[in-house]
Amino acid sequence: MTPAGEPTVLSGRNLRKDYPMNGAAVHALRGVSLEVRSGEYVAIAGPSGSGKSTLLQLIGGIDVPSAGEVEILGTRLDTLSDRELTRLRLTRLGFIFQRFHLLPVLTARENVELPMAEAGIPVRERRARALELLAYVGLEHRAGHRATQLSGGEMQRVAIARALANRPVLLLADEPTGELDAATGGEILSLFRRLNQDGTTLVVVTHDERLAAEAGRVIHMLDGHILGAGE
Amino acid sequence: MSGLGWAVRSLIRQRLRTALAVIGIAISAAMLLDMVMLSGGIEKSFAELLLAKGYQIRLTPKGTLPFDTEATLDRASSIVARLRRDTAIASAGAVLGTSLYGRSRDSLVTLVGYGIQPEAQGVYQVQRGQDLARHDTLGVLLSASAAGLLRAEVGGTVSLVGRLDPQVATAGVSRQLVVRGIVRWVYDYRGQPSVGTILPVMQALAAVGPDDRASLVLVKARSDAAAPALAERLREEFPRLEVYSVADLVRFFKQRLVYFRQLSYILATMSLVVTVLLITTLLTITVNERLGEIATLRAIGIGRSTVVRQVFIEGAVLTVLGAVLGIALGLGTARYLDSILTSFPGLPAAFSFFVPRRETLTAAALVLLVTGSLAGLYPAWLAARAPIAATLRSEAT
Repeated sequence: MTPAGEPTVLSGRNLRKDYPMNGAAVHALRGVSLEVRSGEYVAIAGPSGSGKSTLLQLIGGIDVPSAGEVEILGTRLDTLSDRELTRLRLTRLGFIFQRFHLLPVLTARENVELPMAEAGIPVRERRARALELLAYVGLEHRAGHRATQLSGGEMQRVAIARALANRPVLLLADEPTGELDAATGGEILSLFRRLNQDGTTLVVVTHDERLAAEAGRVIHMLDGHILGAGE
Repeated sequence: MSGLGWAVRSLIRQRLRTALAVIGIAISAAMLLDMVMLSGGIEKSFAELLLAKGYQIRLTPKGTLPFDTEATLDRASSIVARLRRDTAIASAGAVLGTSLYGRSRDSLVTLVGYGIQPEAQGVYQVQRGQDLARHDTLGVLLSASAAGLLRAEVGGTVSLVGRLDPQVATAGVSRQLVVRGIVRWVYDYRGQPSVGTILPVMQALAAVGPDDRASLVLVKARSDAAAPALAERLREEFPRLEVYSVADLVRFFKQRLVYFRQLSYILATMSLVVTVLLITTLLTITVNERLGEIATLRAIGIGRSTVVRQVFIEGAVLTVLGAVLGIALGLGTARYLDSILTSFPGLPAAFSFFVPRRETLTAAALVLLVTGSLAGLYPAWLAARAPIAATLRSEAT
């Protein structure tokens, strides 16, 4: 369900992305527009190479569109300096990656604390919140374990806790169940469902039909275009 | 988790590589330290040697350096007497250096002889027994080595032979002398068999003629600060003699060792370059291996400055570990090399090529730390400039 009347968190207009590959131009996105409102759970689905991950990177401000514009909470990303954009990613957005990308030398708690430390949150406060978030994802007993000592599912749950650390307005996930078996992927699905029920806005890029089915809205992509959206 | 703790854990994660890098940096640091000690240590050690007994000025025959030739100056006693009347001079004494022989059972051993004025001497320190009295014509001082060769101890008697007839190898001048003390001759090389008597006795043994000859005259000014001006004045008063201050002699010494110093500078620079290359290579490999991790950090909002700081801290940790190990290694190798170099014939045993001084250690450590930190610049720049989206894309495939 699209929560009509809720404020727009994200809007992308006429987004194009071209990049060179082996001397030829690849048109990863060919004029894509989308809008996400607060509290929505949106899945972007499509085959490999359809442009869904590129779209996620553009709306997450970690890549720059060749044309078009992205707004997060009314702020146009192309007007921000690199420092401001980094700050926006830190405080307004949360990222979850297919391969978790936790720092292997840090413990689960330290990985969750990392974005809070960067945001300047005092040690005691961020430690308490990290433990609270680990408890939320069911991993309080693994707080002192290094990332390398965790299973795939546990690593992804720690990555989710890390993404939530600075209370983002929008959570972006790129194939979050792609590296997990069906049972573990199911745990992540229920965690996402719970997050959305608790008010978190989610945009998830996925191949996983179960994950797409959980979403309130599914955007289908093919060859850099949005084919259509369904609820 | 502090940046330092994070860096240390990252380094520990690659134990072998980190250990090899630290050893490499330590070897470079040791070489750097040794070369820094060598480049400044020689002249420092030489100046300390010259000032060992506080005599800041030397008067020698025209055109010669102290003990550099067998040339002698005449009327030594009158020169000394004139100097001692100078109110700016605290002490003055003549020294004659010569070669002579000592009887050891049925054979003769070659010795180095010093004729000294005990009331104003700057060439020895008494280790056992007592010093010579001013007019002690029967006493002799021996180095430990000479005492060994002559099988003599304090209170014993030795027979010194001043000149051999080249035709029949019989003694021209011979003296029986009582050993007053065992001394350390300041300018002797290691194991040098030296003996010393008052100046007239040694002049007789050396048969240098009736005109009261000496190799040089040592002068002690009333203060170190007054020494350069005094040396200048003595140059005018004794135009037939060379007058050297310690600074003059150090300058001559530096000129003679200029190639040595250049070599030490070149080797020090090379060791610094090796250190920079080591740290840069290691950190660049580390950064390249961790581009995905760095891109993720940047994606989740970790600033460039934090990423750069982490790379810098890792470089600094490596440098500090290498420097600490390198200083210990450098001091050890300096001691070993010093023992080899100072065993060369003709070099005073008290002389040191490698002088460990606090300022030398500090300078070497600072140069190393600054260089080590600069070595992290390129990898840090690489880390900061890593394209986030492209790196994440390549990580995903």
